[in-house]
Amino acid sequence: MKKIIVKNVSKNFKIGFEKNQGVLARFISFFSGKTPQRNIKTLDNISFYANKGEILGIIGKNGSGKSTLLRIIAGIYKKDKGEILTYGKIIPLINLNYGLKERLTLKDNIYLYCSFFGLSKNQIKQKFDLIVEFAELKNFINTKIYQFSEGMKQRLAFSIAIHCQPEILLLDEVFEVGDKNFKQKSSNKIEELAKNGTTVLLVSHDINLINKHCQRTIWLEKGKIMKDDKTSIVIAEYLNSNEF
Amino acid sequence: MLKKGLNLAVVLAKMEFKLRNEGSYLGIFWYLLNPILTFFVLLIVFGNKLGQNIPNYSLYLLLGIIMFNFFRQVTIESTKIIQDNRWLIKSINFPREILINSIILKTLFSHIFEIILFTALLFIFKAPFWGIIFYPLILLFFCFFIYGFSLILSSLAIYFIDLNNIWLFAISLIWLGTPIFYTIENQGWLFKLNLLNPCYYFITIARDLIIYTKSPEIWMVLGAIFYSLLFLIIGKYIFSKLKYKFAELI
Repeated sequence: MKKIIVKNVSKNFKIGFEKNQGVLARFISFFSGKTPQRNIKTLDNISFYANKGEILGIIGKNGSGKSTLLRIIAGIYKKDKGEILTYGKIIPLINLNYGLKERLTLKDNIYLYCSFFGLSKNQIKQKFDLIVEFAELKNFINTKIYQFSEGMKQRLAFSIAIHCQPEILLLDEVFEVGDKNFKQKSSNKIEELAKNGTTVLLVSHDINLINKHCQRTIWLEKGKIMKDDKTSIVIAEYLNSNEF
Repeated sequence: MLKKGLNLAVVLAKMEFKLRNEGSYLGIFWYLLNPILTFFVLLIVFGNKLGQNIPNYSLYLLLGIIMFNFFRQVTIESTKIIQDNRWLIKSINFPREILINSIILKTLFSHIFEIILFTALLFIFKAPFWGIIFYPLILLFFCFFIYGFSLILSSLAIYFIDLNNIWLFAISLIWLGTPIFYTIENQGWLFKLNLLNPCYYFITIARDLIIYTKSPEIWMVLGAIFYSLLFLIIGKYIFSKLKYKFAELI
């Protein structure tokens, strides 16, 4: 059963477009018309699919369009062309700590973000202990987030995401930080979610991680799919191309 | 879907409220302090001169201040809300309108306290207070207008980065131009200008019904409904056109 279907999706970004302008500056540049713009094809005619319970790896260099692809699937960016079909609740983990509110406590943040992911108050109450336990932050329930280390924030974000019953989970470089123990725990958790039917898109630079979790992998380069095949084949070719 | 949206807006409003009142025990009193202080200063300065021809001047003044304050707080915050929540917008897909809803809910909370204060003043002056039952209806349409207006402001603020400064300036002009601490008879250029000012309609209707317990003029009521629906429609339209660009531009 296919959970994500992406057909011929393209996305351009305007580079050099002056976005931080005041009213006056905008008027002047509007009438003088001297704003050099360049279109960058971030995604160019991408098509792929992902099945239920599949962990699909996505590899590629910086700037190859991986995060943009996830954002478009999550509905955060609007695609220029093409078609995207998704079935089920999507939970993206694209920025490591999706803007956790620094001045709120851990407890408030859990309530806020679980609400964003569509949980009701009662559901949050039920999950609350699980989330805290998994993130190993039991002693910090009433601590404000700004006093947390990056690793703690990331653990929290990850723990919230996996406990909100995602049917599609979008993970972007989530294992970069965090100690060995937590890495092990969270990769077990991802396997467990996938077994229960969650589709996971796993973006990472970590070849070993992709190798471990994914049957199938997509290699993106300059907005195009270079290869969509079994992980071992894709990784071999990817590493080959990088040798120079 | 609607219930989920409302639920989220309530949670967000609560959190925003907590953020705003971080470490402050006075909390809600800070919100009340501003209109009360404005009220007393204006009453002392203008009470004798401008207020002489206005019956129940202190009530007239306080209701005007409270209602305008609601408009001002929501609109000023809406010029910053998208920027303030940029990481949220870049990471999660949720109906962006909820950010505006949460501002309105939060401000409504302190507004209710102000209205309670106003009702207390009605008692003190032994004015008839049954007119207050109309207020929720007026407030509903006032909220429609403010909501639509804030949708426009918040989405334009992404394109014009200094809009919040401009709006701060503009709103102090509107504050002076709206008959809050003075009155305008049905003539003169200021009156004609105020026909374009939706706040004028809502404040006048509220004063007529609550303080003077008389029915407002029918064209005023129609004007208020017209403006609230107009801004609601325009706001929804502009916001829905621009909201897909938010994540890319901030």
